[in-house]
Amino acid sequence: MAKLKIEDLKKIKERVQGETALRAGTRRVKVTVHMGTCGIAAGAREVMDSLMNEIEESGVTDVVVTTSGCMGLCSREPEVTVEILDQDPIIYEFMNQNKMRQVFKRHVLEGEIQTPFALAKTKGQS
Amino acid sequence: MKVFRSHILICGGTGCHATGSVKVKQALAAELARQGLADEIKLVETGCNGFCAMGPIMVVYPDGIIYMMIQPEDVPELVEEHFLKGRPLERLLYKEPSTEETIPEMNEIPFFAHQEPRVLRNKGLIDPEIIDEYIARDGYAGMAKALTEMTSEEIIKEVLDSGIRGRGGAGFPTGLKWKFAAQSENDVKYVLCNADEGDPGAFMDRSVLEADPHAVLEGMIIAARAIGAHKGYIYCRAEYPLALRRLDIAINQAKEYGLLGENILDTGFDFDLEIYQGAGAFVCGEETALMTSIEGNRGMPRPRPPFPAVSGLWQKPSVLNNVETLASIGQIIAKGSEWFASVGNETSKGTKVFALTGDINNVGLVEVPMGTSLGTIVYDIGGGIPDGKKFKAAQLGGPSGGMIPVQHLNAPVDYESVAKLGAIMGSGGLIVMNEDMCPVDMARFFMDFCQDESCGKCTPCREGTKRMLEILTNICEGRGKEGDIETLMEMAEIIKDSALCGLGQTAPNPVLSTIRYFRDEYEEHIRDKHCSAGVCTTLFKSPCQNACPIGMDVPQYMALVRAKRFDDAYRVMMKTNPFPAICGRVCDHQCQFKCRRSTLDETLAIKFIKRFITDNATRPVINPVLTDRNEKIAVVGAGPAGLTAAKDLALRGYQVTVFEELPEPGGMTRYGIPSYRLPRNILAGEVDDIRALGVEIQCNTRVGRDISFEDVDKKYDYIYLAPGAHKSQRMRVDGEDIAGVFGGVEFLRDFNLNEDAWLKGEKSLGAKVAVIGGGNSAIDAARCAVRLGADVTILYRRTRQDMPAAEEEIIAAEHEGIKIEYFVAPKKIVGANGSVNGITCERMKAGDFDNSGRRRPVVIEGSEFTLDVDAVIAAIGQTPDLSFVPEGSDVSVNRWECFDLAEGSKSRTTSEKFFAGGDAVTGPWTAVGAIAAGHQAAEDIDSAIRAKNGESPWEAPAEEVIDIPFEIDEETEEQPQAAMPELDAAVRKTNFKEVELGYEIEEAIKEASRCLRCDAEV
Amino acid sequence: MDLEYNELLEEFTREQIKELDGIIEEHRGRAGGLIPVLERAQELLGFLPIPVQKRVGRELGIPFSHVYGVVTFYSFFTMQPRGKHTIRVCMGTACYVRGGKKIAENVEKLFGIKEGETTPDRMFTYETVRCLGACGLGPVVVVDEDIHGRVKPDKLKNILQQYS
Repeated sequence: MAKLKIEDLKKIKERVQGETALRAGTRRVKVTVHMGTCGIAAGAREVMDSLMNEIEESGVTDVVVTTSGCMGLCSREPEVTVEILDQDPIIYEFMNQNKMRQVFKRHVLEGEIQTPFALAKTKGQS
Repeated sequence: MKVFRSHILICGGTGCHATGSVKVKQALAAELARQGLADEIKLVETGCNGFCAMGPIMVVYPDGIIYMMIQPEDVPELVEEHFLKGRPLERLLYKEPSTEETIPEMNEIPFFAHQEPRVLRNKGLIDPEIIDEYIARDGYAGMAKALTEMTSEEIIKEVLDSGIRGRGGAGFPTGLKWKFAAQSENDVKYVLCNADEGDPGAFMDRSVLEADPHAVLEGMIIAARAIGAHKGYIYCRAEYPLALRRLDIAINQAKEYGLLGENILDTGFDFDLEIYQGAGAFVCGEETALMTSIEGNRGMPRPRPPFPAVSGLWQKPSVLNNVETLASIGQIIAKGSEWFASVGNETSKGTKVFALTGDINNVGLVEVPMGTSLGTIVYDIGGGIPDGKKFKAAQLGGPSGGMIPVQHLNAPVDYESVAKLGAIMGSGGLIVMNEDMCPVDMARFFMDFCQDESCGKCTPCREGTKRMLEILTNICEGRGKEGDIETLMEMAEIIKDSALCGLGQTAPNPVLSTIRYFRDEYEEHIRDKHCSAGVCTTLFKSPCQNACPIGMDVPQYMALVRAKRFDDAYRVMMKTNPFPAICGRVCDHQCQFKCRRSTLDETLAIKFIKRFITDNATRPVINPVLTDRNEKIAVVGAGPAGLTAAKDLALRGYQVTVFEELPEPGGMTRYGIPSYRLPRNILAGEVDDIRALGVEIQCNTRVGRDISFEDVDKKYDYIYLAPGAHKSQRMRVDGEDIAGVFGGVEFLRDFNLNEDAWLKGEKSLGAKVAVIGGGNSAIDAARCAVRLGADVTILYRRTRQDMPAAEEEIIAAEHEGIKIEYFVAPKKIVGANGSVNGITCERMKAGDFDNSGRRRPVVIEGSEFTLDVDAVIAAIGQTPDLSFVPEGSDVSVNRWECFDLAEGSKSRTTSEKFFAGGDAVTGPWTAVGAIAAGHQAAEDIDSAIRAKNGESPWEAPAEEVIDIPFEIDEETEEQPQAAMPELDAAVRKTNFKEVELGYEIEEAIKEASRCLRCDAEV
Repeated sequence: MDLEYNELLEEFTREQIKELDGIIEEHRGRAGGLIPVLERAQELLGFLPIPVQKRVGRELGIPFSHVYGVVTFYSFFTMQPRGKHTIRVCMGTACYVRGGKKIAENVEKLFGIKEGETTPDRMFTYETVRCLGACGLGPVVVVDEDIHGRVKPDKLKNILQQYS
């Protein structure tokens, strides 16, 4: 391996910080992929994969991804909840990889709710 | 870059490795792969997380949820629940012991919440084997700054300004050390890291090396730059294999990156580093000895001067710093000296890492600002003492340090305060010790350590520690003699002044410190050959017998019950205890708190077995004894103390008359303890046995009223005063004299005197009753009030853990529907029409610590509230009523309304012919304590008489020989204590029938067989 | 020379001796090399009897008396052969206050050997150690590399049965 120079330290720091940022606990957006049996059967795993790819490509570090079990609306799976800090959560239904990419680019990054895919606004759910 | 949605940081410190974290990690990797999550979730092994007692530990990010005590079997469920279903797995989360509350997030757990991680900022957050993760958290930024932007003088000034002092123990300013080394002119200089962490009970440095090894390397490079060194050594114990491995990895990675070696970061600065493995000698933690050891010799210290800064390793200028010190340097340079000095206090800056161990709930690694109080560390972070035991002392500084006892829990922990209390900061080992710690044994332990580790070079240390150890061993084994304490102190001073190095100079510290705070326990070992902590085993047969104030031989009667020889068991008990049936019901059983069985499963039910024997054996027939002495003796008070003394004196041939104010004998056991705990016939039976010996008991006879004090004085040769403590302390609040406000013991006495009137409703408390206090009489009063049909609330101003009442009594009260409100104190009693109709209270919160180690209750302003009640019973304490002692009597009464005893006597008052004992001397105490006092008084009175007459001392008649069977189980199976059958709470709260029903024969035999026979000599 | 080599052969194989020579070679001429050599030699051979010390001393150019002095000074070094398994009872303060003393007594009772001794069948060597830094788990008993935490004195036998 090449010996480092001062500026290399900074580069390593920036690169690895992106990978480890989620340990610092700073978050702006939380995206929940509902991964109950029904969700996985309906394609939640693929939705998750595309979400992760989007995050990786965009290089953002303030988006947190979690999973949850079935919400009880099995017929509308796969479902994804996007929750921007200090805003009401939005649930998207019948998600697929394309829709996920769109929701990520427009809603998560730019703050535009993608109403056509949205199930409903839920108040006070965290 | 690869992004994961979640990171699992599993602890890979030595502690968690030992509890199986490696297997858990493998199981996690396999399960994540099986569930197809391996690309979404990253698994990282970190260094020590710090919460070592709870291992294996893992923290899941981004949520920050911490799981504890994970077993490989838990992994599938954990992955399924947390990573698929997205809900934390409840059963592996932390549960706060005091509140039973589950706390999922690591930073919310008190153990972590009160800490300020600076040195440990990366613990559990990075993989210590990946240098990039360290760099990502600003690692090597301080070094880069030091190498490119700062001169040697500037670095040293920054370190000096920060105020950092050596974390290894002595607390010498680090910047000053560097300055001296920098000023020494030489082409070759060395930077050394002392990682020979040898203090027993200390593992701070190990954890830093395991969790964040690069921080130490960074500090060493900066030190090297500051003093102009190009070579360094890390001297690390061979006992730390994991730390050695991680250091090795770190050094190799740093070399690959060009952060070590030639031309570091292209700045032209060279520094090379080697690990030197110690070979197991405590003295090598001393700086000159460490250098001698690296040179390849026996690790013996050298006299100073010359100091290492001038002539150290291979006679070259050298700087030696401790791991924690070096781990702080990078941040001091990167963030500045002001940042470092922003926490801590005047003379001690920054934070300090402690290894918190011993008798404490949250064992682990903690980092707090200098000056944090000991109580905060022990209780808020450490979670207090397990198993309901009491804090006795904290040991700081290992074999070179000392103890900080309970009365100093408020002391700030910083270099100066700790030194003032006779301990040293040391490297940070903080060992918490509970009431089972014997200070003499502890001093012996540390002296043994120092003597063993003394290198032998200088005489004071080599010979002095040996002589001191000899004396301490003698004291522990019952061969102590008067003057030993003084000799120890004298030798301690000589060794301190004359030993060559730190090991010898500080070796006497634990002895001096324990003598300073626990001199009474030294004296007890020397004079009475007694170890009240129950540690020095040569001084007693079994710990239960040792704990009993009257030395009942518990293992003997356990063995006899096991052999179904109940009558013999009764006779064994009667040898020392005139009231086994009473004690079998109401004893506070100190024996059970020392029972060794509790280290295996649960303590033996000694009290219940005692009761079983008296319930099931034939009571020995008592015949009158011959009165062959001329001296007549009066006893004032027919409680356990008075009656025990009367019995013993009668057995020695004296004519004894007991005066009792109340209609029946028994004292507090008759008029204080309710009959549902101690049925009247049981009590009467044992009192009758005393009468049967020929003791005369005159009831309804109050000395000072029915017979004058002077008459008693005239008619009797010796008088034993045992009137008990039958007067309630006043609350000192407004409205205390309104009708319907009772003192606790006054209420119980009135009830027990006029049971019929109370039961028929001629006397009544009303519908709602508040009881104030947290002792046994508060519980007794409350449980009586419930039985009279009242709705009862106990108000206590501290927490449940602080209540002096027996735990089983508190539980029984709760079962009977009594509400207990904690942190509430009365402010005034509200009355209307001359009787109580309410009580105004204030809420309290925990303040600083009092001398008993409990937090002082402090009023919360504006928290007043009023409870509607019809009666208030104030059971907050009792005092003796000694008004019968005339003024001007030579029997002196002190300001606590108790009898003063003559200097050096355990029972004689300030008058030659008056002796005293029981609650009237000690204040409210226990039945068995009173019995012990009675025995003591009889012995002392008899001895005084015989000494006066010039007779030889009394010789006890030959004891009846009872053969004790010896049957021991080869294998001990875990088996909890047999539960005591009880009346159902709903049934018992309507009457005064005995609540505890007693063991059946089979139960009792099985329970007695749990005895480990600690009395056995194998 | 031959006499010494023969002495070594009584306890060790030719391969082992060759490896020992290799270790010595690595450190020849380096200041402070003696202790690292002894550490690795003990790792290799299990113990450091006099013939090993003599060989190390001669090869490194250090008087035997000095080597012997170092070996006897550090507790890590042993001149006695060891058992197949090493039982180390931690007597650090934290373990001591939590029952380490009792555990040590039980080991002595169980095997009839004192600290530092090896059972006659060379199965177990029993040692006490000063703090392993695993205080969170006290009392601690280490058998070979396995750390057993929170050991109950009466359960010691069960733990040791796993090793044979």
